[in-house]
Amino acid sequence: MTAVVVAVFIGAYILIATERIHRVAAALGGAAAMVLLGVVDAHVAFFNEATGVDWNVIFLLLGMMVIVSVLKQTGVFDFLAIWAAKKVRGRPFPLMVMLVCITAGASALLDNVTTVLLIAPVTLLVCDRLAIPPVPFLIAEALASNIGGMATLVGDPPNIIIGSRAGLSFNDFLVNLAPLAVILMVVFIGLCRIMFRNAFHFDEERVAAVMELDEREVIQNAGLLIRSLVVLAAVMVGFILHSALHVEPSMVALLGAGALVTLSKLEPAEYLEEVEWPTLVFFMGLFIMVGALVEVGFITSLGQTLTDAVGGRFFLASSVLLWGSAVLSGIVDNIPYVATMSPLVQDLVASGGDTTESNALWWALAAGADLGGNATAVGASANVVIIGIAARNGHPISFWKFTKYGLVVAAVTIAISWPYLWLRYYAF
Amino acid sequence: MRARDLAKPFPTVSVDEDVLTAAQMMAAERSPGLIVCDPDGRPYTVLPGSQVLNFLIPRYVQEQPALARAFDERASDALIDKLVRHTVRDVLPKPADLDELPIVDADATTIEIAAVMARMHSPLVAVVGGGRVLGAITVSQLLSHLLPA
Repeated sequence: MTAVVVAVFIGAYILIATERIHRVAAALGGAAAMVLLGVVDAHVAFFNEATGVDWNVIFLLLGMMVIVSVLKQTGVFDFLAIWAAKKVRGRPFPLMVMLVCITAGASALLDNVTTVLLIAPVTLLVCDRLAIPPVPFLIAEALASNIGGMATLVGDPPNIIIGSRAGLSFNDFLVNLAPLAVILMVVFIGLCRIMFRNAFHFDEERVAAVMELDEREVIQNAGLLIRSLVVLAAVMVGFILHSALHVEPSMVALLGAGALVTLSKLEPAEYLEEVEWPTLVFFMGLFIMVGALVEVGFITSLGQTLTDAVGGRFFLASSVLLWGSAVLSGIVDNIPYVATMSPLVQDLVASGGDTTESNALWWALAAGADLGGNATAVGASANVVIIGIAARNGHPISFWKFTKYGLVVAAVTIAISWPYLWLRYYAF
Repeated sequence: MRARDLAKPFPTVSVDEDVLTAAQMMAAERSPGLIVCDPDGRPYTVLPGSQVLNFLIPRYVQEQPALARAFDERASDALIDKLVRHTVRDVLPKPADLDELPIVDADATTIEIAAVMARMHSPLVAVVGGGRVLGAITVSQLLSHLLPA
């Protein structure tokens, strides 16, 4: 039976990776096969924490998507980008620095895809005014969103899965990965200066056109903006205090979403606009597929084999996990990858007695999966979204054009993460 | 009633004319669109006014309408400059979409005319007979004929 379950899992995984059929259909098909094989029943799928759907992940995502739906109605990103452009008096490199910092900061708090969806249009507007090419700015924003997303529990879906499976708190991510994200952003800004050096020529006379923009004009509903920012701040405080308050991050997100829905007085179609139902269903199918591998004992035996292979050499395991995850995440979707790896890493961490050295495996997995997404044009959803927006606005970005920048950024950021892990968890 | 009975003289524009001229003609004639002819004077397609607006307004503003408020008079004038720099051909849908034209034969019935307008989302159709444009029918003309008085 184990062999059949593994074969079904690999088949569904290949379909997801190659996108021969829609990834939701592949994940649900795989989950259905596990049910038909008799490995999964309702209890295993819905009520077992080890083998079933991780509802904390599903509802944390749902809550944040609702919050984003409301925030989108306010025009806050347009405001910030125009304000930033005026602050730097339209000079392209400082403008790029401001935009990537805003993108990375927002991606740490919100979903990466939403962040780039909101920041890209106003970037095009500002670049139009300055008569400078928008493509370097758009590529830089996609790359920054993937770096910024690594900083927190809610910044990137793989982090949400890792946080839930490992029992890591919002503060754990903040303490362990946010400093790395800050270091990487500094390095990334330096890389942008070099990689996009030809994009920073501009006409002084065009600056007046940017200075004439009135950022207050793009705020659609000032009252809603203030209410949204207050609730978002409260949600962040809730995330930071969730361990002390004994409230799961999913509950914090749902309470925040509920508060915002009540205060915004928006219609359901509006506050559910950004909820990606296919993504949530994809996660459910995926959890059931991985749960079946746990149920038949495959993960336990594979975990034992890996534990024997590692033999207490956790820095070596972290290194392999960091670089391996980066390579794989550049090629395939990092969500199914992390969902599959999490139970294995859980076993490895447990074998190390839950020490700092063994726990660092989680940070290696998160950094590798999040940063590896920058490697290619299809490595992360934010990259795909930016390429789509650019094409619709008459600025096509080819796969290789994106990848030649993404590959450099992914390689450099992973190369920096490696000594960071060593210095922080293994050297002393 | 047939298409030839409903057709009225309608402004035409060459596919190589600049878009500003075409837009000015549309405004002057208070027309929802223009008949576009190829360099030999044969009807090529219909240019609806909405297609000109679609070309004029950047896609990022269409997708994030709040950004429209950031356009002052000067920025709006700069958008209009775009019309001078492009021809009608640039504004038209890509050739792949031109397999079927919003054109009807002079003998077409009112329902045939309505079917072409509905299928092609076009506010007007050109009426052709004997290889030349006899005129055009707008959606308002057609509706006023179809609806009971």
